[in-house]
Amino acid sequence: MYVRRRGDSLLRVVLLAPPLLFLLSMVVYPLLFGIRMSLTDYKTGQWNNFHNFVRATQDSLFSDAVKAIAIYVTVVIVIEFLLGLVLALVIYHNIKSGWLKALFYFLFLIPLVTPPVAAGVLFRLMYTPSYGIINYLLQMTGLIQKEILWLSQPAPAMFAVISVDVWQWTPFVFFVLFAGLQAVPKDTLEAAAVDGASGFQRFRLIELPYLRPLMLLVLILRLADTFQVFDHVMVLTQGGPGTVTQFLSVYIYKVGFKFLNLNYAAAASIMVIAVVILIFMALNRLLRIAEGGEANEA
Amino acid sequence: MKHSWKSSRFLVGLFLGAVALLYLFPVFWMVTTSLKSTGELYGYPPTLVPLRPTLQPYRSLLMEKGYGQLIRNSLVINLLTIVLTLTLALLINYPLARLRVSARAGRAILNGILAIRFIPGIIMVIPFYAIILTVGLYDTIWSLVLIYTVFNLPLAVYMLNGFLREIPIELEEAALVDGATRRYAFLAITLPQLSPAILAIAVITFALSWNDFLFALILTATPAAQTFSIGVWRLVSQFQILWNEMAAAAVIATMIPILLLVFVRRYLLAALTFGVVREKA
Repeated sequence: MYVRRRGDSLLRVVLLAPPLLFLLSMVVYPLLFGIRMSLTDYKTGQWNNFHNFVRATQDSLFSDAVKAIAIYVTVVIVIEFLLGLVLALVIYHNIKSGWLKALFYFLFLIPLVTPPVAAGVLFRLMYTPSYGIINYLLQMTGLIQKEILWLSQPAPAMFAVISVDVWQWTPFVFFVLFAGLQAVPKDTLEAAAVDGASGFQRFRLIELPYLRPLMLLVLILRLADTFQVFDHVMVLTQGGPGTVTQFLSVYIYKVGFKFLNLNYAAAASIMVIAVVILIFMALNRLLRIAEGGEANEA
Repeated sequence: MKHSWKSSRFLVGLFLGAVALLYLFPVFWMVTTSLKSTGELYGYPPTLVPLRPTLQPYRSLLMEKGYGQLIRNSLVINLLTIVLTLTLALLINYPLARLRVSARAGRAILNGILAIRFIPGIIMVIPFYAIILTVGLYDTIWSLVLIYTVFNLPLAVYMLNGFLREIPIELEEAALVDGATRRYAFLAITLPQLSPAILAIAVITFALSWNDFLFALILTATPAAQTFSIGVWRLVSQFQILWNEMAAAAVIATMIPILLLVFVRRYLLAALTFGVVREKA
């Protein structure tokens, strides 16, 4: 297959060495260093008998953070997934006009490229008690009597941070599944309709098999990202009120850079990484399946 | 089914209209707030359209509060990140696509790089911060260039890998058979064909670096190295919040990636899904 040249095997090494050295020093070394940090005391730098890990298991703030992120990830992913799927189906099957399609395409593109910090600002401008438009609209329409302190009451604060994520990333689910729908052969759908299959049957039996690998992909990518939510929380609530929105990343950040115990922060984050490895293993398998599928089509 | 056709069509219209409004309104509210004078912010009820539109919030940010410097920092950091990311991605991909590298080794390298995409930023940045402190790069643009390159590399490598596979190897090989050097064959034949891909990777790398907040928050401390997203956040964490300036900062933060990405939007979805999803042109 390949044209071989003298010196190719040397060239191979010469080309691959710099990036691999870069990754070794910038990824592998810091991660190993992090493990070392997690096993030592933050004052003395001495080995401390897994004290940081023991502490994490007894730390109520840490378990609060775990609980908060579990709620956040579950709610956000369920809503984004269902809403994204419904939007993809509804828009794909109902909108025929080119400019309406273009409008939704553009509307949904904006959140995808908005910096999460700016997305936080966008919603802070609407949720804030004094200037916020949301309270004003709710009061005007008579839905609420007293203004809601969106960012400083537990349930509303959780709602607020979730709403930003849903606003920003539902379009991502939409785009991926919409692209998947385009691969479904139109004549199969039409034939099924002629034969009297209901809309739901057509979805379940014809479209769903095409969408399934993409659904998995989207779920895994969203899982990996919602798990480390940080930016817009720092803009909206900074973890408050209390520890309601103090998600893992926010808590670890505070431990490391507000309470200045980097070693404990490293230990807490290593406890998190186990989950991440599981996520990656799932994705790896999925990508292989997806690649196999593509090869079959070609 | 037929009889409900009209009402279901109405419901669909209502649903999509509501969705469109939910996506338009926050952006509208941000832009309109950024054009209000400070006095207008405290009136009740809040005005939908500024009574007397003014660019004062922008002027205040860029001229008086030194946000121009933050934009400049972001530009320099992101451009350096693009150069470093593309260089490393090309160095990795060329041997994998054009030289004899065993399938197993190739797979291992690509998987290892893909794994980086799933390391939570906070886990990476804690030891990174400790190392950066000891080597004296804390609060410099270089600390950010390095970590942005790390986190942009998976995407760049995967996109480039996909594009490189699509370019027929025969062209390059014909040149090699005719006696061209590998360097010449790459620079004169393959690289020009890769240029749309390289442009797309550059823009997406820029946008993702521009969007970062966590790393900049932890690895920089002064306006000498801070990025624009830190500037946006600084306005939020102030004691007295000026909504118009905060909105203006968010407008700038959002507009820059939008303007850039419009040019490469075809590649955006592929980038976000590691090439699994390709949009039809």
